[in-house]
Amino acid sequence: MKKTALVCCLFALMSFGMTEKKKIKVWLVGDSTISVKEKKAYPETGWGMPFVHFWDSTVTVDNRAKNGRSSKSFFAEKLWQPVLDNLQEGDYVFIQFGHNDESKDKGERYSSPEEFKANLERYVTESRSKKAIPVLITPVARRKFDDKGQVKESHGEYAGLVKQIAAANSVPLIDLNEKSKILLQQLGPESSKYLFNYLTPGEHPNYPEGKQDDTHFSELGARKMAEIVLAEIKTLKLELADRIVQPVKK
Amino acid sequence: MRTPILHTLFAGLAFLLLSFAIPPRKKIKVWLIGDSTMCPYEPNRAPLAGWGMPFAGFFDSSVVIDNRARGGRSTRTFISENRWQPIADSLQKGDYVFIQFGHNDEAKEERYKDRYTPVPDYKTNLIKFITESRAKKAIPILVTPVTRMRFDKEGKMMETHKEYTAAAWEIGKEYNTPVIDLDAKSRELLQQFGPTDAKMLFMQLDSLEHPNYPGGQKDNTHFNEYGARRVAELVLAEIKTLKLELAERIVQPVIKK
Repeated sequence: MKKTALVCCLFALMSFGMTEKKKIKVWLVGDSTISVKEKKAYPETGWGMPFVHFWDSTVTVDNRAKNGRSSKSFFAEKLWQPVLDNLQEGDYVFIQFGHNDESKDKGERYSSPEEFKANLERYVTESRSKKAIPVLITPVARRKFDDKGQVKESHGEYAGLVKQIAAANSVPLIDLNEKSKILLQQLGPESSKYLFNYLTPGEHPNYPEGKQDDTHFSELGARKMAEIVLAEIKTLKLELADRIVQPVKK
Repeated sequence: MRTPILHTLFAGLAFLLLSFAIPPRKKIKVWLIGDSTMCPYEPNRAPLAGWGMPFAGFFDSSVVIDNRARGGRSTRTFISENRWQPIADSLQKGDYVFIQFGHNDEAKEERYKDRYTPVPDYKTNLIKFITESRAKKAIPILVTPVTRMRFDKEGKMMETHKEYTAAAWEIGKEYNTPVIDLDAKSRELLQQFGPTDAKMLFMQLDSLEHPNYPGGQKDNTHFNEYGARRVAELVLAEIKTLKLELAERIVQPVIKK
């Protein structure tokens, strides 16, 4: 009897100690390497798609990334404003641009290094103005190898700019460019193809002619990239790491 | 007297005639019956996936995939748990029934005695699925059990379902039922990947890699999302090779501008 009462008492105390976690949103802002794909584009997969499965019920992932967008066109097309308007205190904003910013031949996407830095700073300061937590991510690597089977840098300059802005503004940084290059190097030139949207002709109805895409991911590649981001969230000890989903007991 | 109105009329008439010539396809269902290698999974089991999951994305709007496969089931328990009867009752003319069992039928270990089904019973159950599908004018398709990952020392894929695959073939021939030899095709696929890379198709996870499996996973039977899709593609390729009417209902690609 006494024992039961004690246990109950302890339990009541513990429940007071562990206050219910506030629900938050994780907003994903970026390009086609993150975005949710339409069925007609399957099996191309953005890393934001498997990323949603990593969280407990206190977290909603709102994947606003969009194909072909740069840090500049994401503003210009008013894709950022609705995010900003809806940001709540404690929300996270994951920002990954670069692929389209660095494409010099496409005017509406291209951002000069100076513009790129200014744009990133704007995402950071505006997120903070709403007491949300910005996290900067360097652009995920493309599948590029040299003749000796060494991974080539595909975003060197723009990845460096992201790091600069993160350091200058004390923003948590996930160096996805570097980490994904390490993964590609481990797999090597041939096996790394499984991470990307590589299809032989006739293999998948959405791509009758086949596909050899060194930028966009397969389901596997998208999940591996999402896992890298998750690992970095833990390494950075973001509060978000306390909200990782608990496995179901079998 | 060719006025714009007449033009419109002609165009309208032509359109009407064409619509009669190509009637819209009757909607059909493709029923999937089988085990854990085929069945759908909740997100809390991700990245675990049955091949029926990506398979659903391969067809146009005239096809509904009804994935009734269920983990741990053999032909015997699928019937005894009353999972088959509701399907047999609902089958419509022109529906397909894809039947893939074997993994659990062949489980001889004591702890699996609830599911073990000796070969003669396995055959009897396949015959039941076939004849009862046909009684409703549905089209049964036998699928041999997808391979497990097992390489020998020389890096050659080993057969993991020999008896039950042979049994499925036997029934397929005897009952004139199309057979998709997924066992053979998936062994070829794994052989292409080789012993190291083939792991990329299966539920092989390092510890802490995925929150759903903090202890990691070393599973040579169940597929991850990528493996499930590659296996579903093998099934699709065989649907084309067999020239099933279903092949005409494969989704058309969206032409990019």
